[in-house]
Amino acid sequence: MAIDLSPFANSWPFLLKAVALTVFISAMSMLLGFVLGVVVGALRTYGGRFFDIVLGFYVDTMRSIPLLVILIWIYFAFPLVIGASVDVTSAAIVGLGLHLGAYMAETIRAGLTSVRRGQMAAALALGMSHTQAIRTIILPQALIRMLPSLGSLFVFAIKDSAIASVIAVPELLRQTQVVAGNTYRPFELYTAAMIVYFLLCFPVARGVDWIYRRVAHLGSS
Amino acid sequence: MSAQETPVKRINHGESPILSFENVSKRYGTLQALDQVTLTVNRGEVVCLIGPSGSGKSTALRCANALETLDSGRVLFEGKEVRADDNRNARQVRRRMGMVFQNFELFPHLTVLKNVTIGLTTVLKLDEAAADKRALTLLAKVGLSDKASAHAANLSGGQQQRVAIARALAMEPALMLFDEPTSALDPETIGEVLSVMKALADEGMTMVVVTHEMDFARRVGNWVVVFDKGRVIEQGPPRQIFEAATVPRTREFLNHLGWHGESKIEPAREPKQ
Repeated sequence: MAIDLSPFANSWPFLLKAVALTVFISAMSMLLGFVLGVVVGALRTYGGRFFDIVLGFYVDTMRSIPLLVILIWIYFAFPLVIGASVDVTSAAIVGLGLHLGAYMAETIRAGLTSVRRGQMAAALALGMSHTQAIRTIILPQALIRMLPSLGSLFVFAIKDSAIASVIAVPELLRQTQVVAGNTYRPFELYTAAMIVYFLLCFPVARGVDWIYRRVAHLGSS
Repeated sequence: MSAQETPVKRINHGESPILSFENVSKRYGTLQALDQVTLTVNRGEVVCLIGPSGSGKSTALRCANALETLDSGRVLFEGKEVRADDNRNARQVRRRMGMVFQNFELFPHLTVLKNVTIGLTTVLKLDEAAADKRALTLLAKVGLSDKASAHAANLSGGQQQRVAIARALAMEPALMLFDEPTSALDPETIGEVLSVMKALADEGMTMVVVTHEMDFARRVGNWVVVFDKGRVIEQGPPRQIFEAATVPRTREFLNHLGWHGESKIEPAREPKQ
């Protein structure tokens, strides 16, 4: 089998844009997932029974439905509900973010509960409100403790962005398919895509690990 | 001359007490943690709560600091009722009280300096420069100026507890609560914490100290309250409690710790250095 790299000579700007979109979608869904995770995780831990039950339903739903189905539903079914079409990139970010948020919430909840109760008492004893205590004392420690798990979830966010190719988001996998179809060079193109995904994910995994080794002691009360 | 024959004069007797418990009861499941506890703390006093483990001393402190709701009775601080079920009231109370915990509870993700300033910047809304200035003064006072940029993990237990005291003092409290401040310490670092506490008492700080350090209670305390099974079984000036306890259970408890109230009391010793 002869390797032919000529498709890249013509298509690299097209593919580079796709990589950029993959990075963008991943970053935005991480951000959405993280914010959702912190809010839902904190409300389930400290917000009382009502929030625990309602948000528990969100978490269980998201964990029980395949991401692929969520994305298809948001793109093809949700527009019928609101009577307007949705932009593919937004649909992808929302779907990935909602899905990731459920896992983030569980991770952050575990982190919050693992911080010794005395830390909350000490924060309250200074006159802090519960919100101030969670924000400045408990949450930072929880995030430090949960950094390895959060790192894995960030890697999943990048990898799962490839699923968005099914709703034709012009991200890396989708555009690779397009070029592979036009040039009849699937081996070169899909191998390249694989390498790019690896190059995106590997530094995130190692980087988070590296940071964790340096800050782990800050989370041990 | 025994204490019973002398009318007991407490510091600032007759003025309204800074803290008082009126028939306070608190139950955890089947455990009666506090049973009709009544006591007062006057301004400028060092009141020591002593008694066996699980006798309710720490619960009393937590009630004073609005960390526990009461089943019955009232706790009054500066003339106002302490209500743990009212967040605004609880925060106002806690802002005026400093609390020092058995396990220090320094915030591990923050430097020593930030541990002391966090209350100032988040609760009192001081700007960073003013907060740092106040914190550094207090760290100097507890002898830890050189540790300002360290983290808790790199300090000894005694040093951590001194930072915790500085953190509480930074809020300029009207009353300091100490919950077994030396119980988690190595014997060699107990002295440095007790010295800081004694210096504070000498400055006139009003303090409530739950302690098993009888030397401290006797030498620094102005008033001693003995707890047993959630009740106050005896209270009085240290001389009375340690030399002429009237309640057998008090004598039994002190004997168990190596105090012998019946015999001639040994001269007061310096806290361990």
